[in-house]
Amino acid sequence: MKFLFPLKTAYGALSKHKVRTALTVLGMIIGIGSVIMVMAAGEGIKNYVTDQISSFGTNIIQVEVKTPNVGKTSVQNATSMAQGLSITTLTREDAEALSKLSYVDKVNVGLIGQEVFNYEGNTKTALIFGTDQNFLDVYNMVIGEGYFLDETHVDSQARVVVLGIGIKEKLFGKSQAVGKNVKIRNKNYRVIGVLEEKGIYFGMDMDSVTMIPVTTIQKQLMGVDHLTYAMSWLKDDSYIDRGIDEFTEILRTRHDIEERNPDKYDFSVTSMQEAMGMMDSILGGISLLLIAIASISLIVGGVGIMNIMYVSVSERTYEIGLRKAVGATSKNIMNQFLIEAGLITFGGAIVGVGVGALLAWLTAIIAQSQGIEWRFSLPPESVIISVGVAVAIGLIFGLYPAKEAAKLDPIEALRQN
Amino acid sequence: MDNKLIDIQDLKKEFVNEEVVTKVLHGLNFSIKKGEYLAIMGPSGSGKSTLMHILGFLDKLTTGKYIFDGQDITSFDENKLASIRNEEVGFVFQQFNLLSKTSVYENVKLPLTYSTRLDKDKLTEEAIRSVGLDHRSDFLSNQLSGGEKQRVAIARAIVNQPKIVFADEPTGNLDTKSGTQIMEIFERLNDKGHTIILVTHEQDTANHADRIIKIRDGLIESDIKVEKRRSVKEGELIK
Ligand SMILES: Nc1ncnc2c1ncn2[C@@H]1O[C@H](COP(=O)(O)OP(=O)(O)OP(=O)(O)O)[C@@H](O)[C@H]1O
Ligand SMILES: [Mg+2]
Repeated sequence: MKFLFPLKTAYGALSKHKVRTALTVLGMIIGIGSVIMVMAAGEGIKNYVTDQISSFGTNIIQVEVKTPNVGKTSVQNATSMAQGLSITTLTREDAEALSKLSYVDKVNVGLIGQEVFNYEGNTKTALIFGTDQNFLDVYNMVIGEGYFLDETHVDSQARVVVLGIGIKEKLFGKSQAVGKNVKIRNKNYRVIGVLEEKGIYFGMDMDSVTMIPVTTIQKQLMGVDHLTYAMSWLKDDSYIDRGIDEFTEILRTRHDIEERNPDKYDFSVTSMQEAMGMMDSILGGISLLLIAIASISLIVGGVGIMNIMYVSVSERTYEIGLRKAVGATSKNIMNQFLIEAGLITFGGAIVGVGVGALLAWLTAIIAQSQGIEWRFSLPPESVIISVGVAVAIGLIFGLYPAKEAAKLDPIEALRQN
Repeated sequence: MDNKLIDIQDLKKEFVNEEVVTKVLHGLNFSIKKGEYLAIMGPSGSGKSTLMHILGFLDKLTTGKYIFDGQDITSFDENKLASIRNEEVGFVFQQFNLLSKTSVYENVKLPLTYSTRLDKDKLTEEAIRSVGLDHRSDFLSNQLSGGEKQRVAIARAIVNQPKIVFADEPTGNLDTKSGTQIMEIFERLNDKGHTIILVTHEQDTANHADRIIKIRDGLIESDIKVEKRRSVKEGELIK
């Protein structure tokens, strides 16, 4: 009762100025809504990336080429690559050497290029993976029609190609592709299989890629001996640490690098766990930044509350005087205004959480309709934290006007009438 | 102790607004007994309302002493003053000072908001009944006539059953009939033992009191006992 009464008074005061209250609440809704949305989006991206990485399996070690003297992160690496540096030191023999280790189950290699495909005058440019029979396992893909590359194709530099469903439809439309020939650089390549639909995987549209034997792309298309990557499956993930050390040692020796200094290496050896940790910290940083930006709107909402509380105090000077004249203490008056500010923020926060969650959920739905496996998730602690922060902002920004109100002298205030 | 409820010694009041000093009360001395019915008269601007505000704990005196129920009020802090305003005194303002767009009931109940009393609804209903406004309980204050507003203000002043009721020209803006109704309420309160201090500029109204203090230019001009106190005639009683 003692608590309920001021609440009723505050509600009464706020409902006397419905439009004004609604606009102030709206400021709060936008603030909280954007914070919630950003938090949910951050969580969604994190889950998405983590899911993708872990779908690779945790017992995988990845070897990629990199320019010496740069760090391990792909951004730096990609920059150097874009600058025209091409590293040609990673070879099939390297991969062979790695696969001889007792705890290595199998190795998949790849050289990535781009070629123009031609089928009966219909031309399309597509990404080509020059790879081997283990490719499907790496990318968790399934053959839909025909069959995939096998060892003999690789050994014989066979001119065969497997198509992603997207590129197949662009070249062949609805008609049968398996068994037909497509032309790459004016040579016939027989289509032996078409993959099942996969969608976006690791930021790459897997339905528009094509696969040919690694030896074919090396010798017949690009005239090179090197690889872009080599992925190794270990028998189980307890070998990861040992694997990273031994892989590094083998490749360092094979590449004639004297110094044991990762900066000098022309390759990087990464486990999926490491990649996951790296992604986690990058994404964590990004979402923190976004939350900080969204929080600005929360502060703006708080200033709006302060503004309204000032208007309210000056408008109700007479009422404050009267309340004091009939026995309200300064504390009573201050509480009354603080409760009003708190009520506005709390109301705004509750609706804001709803709006933010709804938008985040819609984002997830839209992403899913685009083939991205994005799960909607809203961590409960983020809701509690942002509602708490909002109410705290309301109270902090409401405090000053409330203090001004409490200071008023009853007769002075009544004279304002 | 004697039965002095209020004792005023050399009370002075001046207002300072942006370095302009307005001296209003120049040194007043008087005391008021428990249960007394006092009328204060004087020309406009003589300082009657200013004095009432000081006596009613709404404003501070500049110099002099105000002993209330044996205690010097300069020793009271903000909270103590708030609690006296809430529990010991009721104040009827010269302008009614009601909350507009708020019901009669809520207006009358306002002081109880800040009280620890438990029987708030009962006290509110009683106060409204005693001024004869039961049938207007749910009306908004801006839907009332002047006389009704004044009665709401009185109900609000007595809702806490205060020892002492201050009324600043309660009949000033009213016709004779409404004025009589109001005077009857004060008479009844005084009969029940409440101390009444009333400001008026009408001799007829002042004659209802036990004693009349006349103020002129911030000083007491006269302080006389009323020989034959006037009473509201039976026929003029409400109800
Ligand atoms: N806050 C203030 N600042 C300056 N002067 C003031 C203030 N309040 C009152 N006064 C002055 O004090 C004087 C007395 O005012 P007060 O209201 O007490 O008169 P009053 O006797 O009640 O008059 P009335 O019969 O018209 O109500 C007036 O001259 C008024 O201008
Ligand atoms: Mg006056």
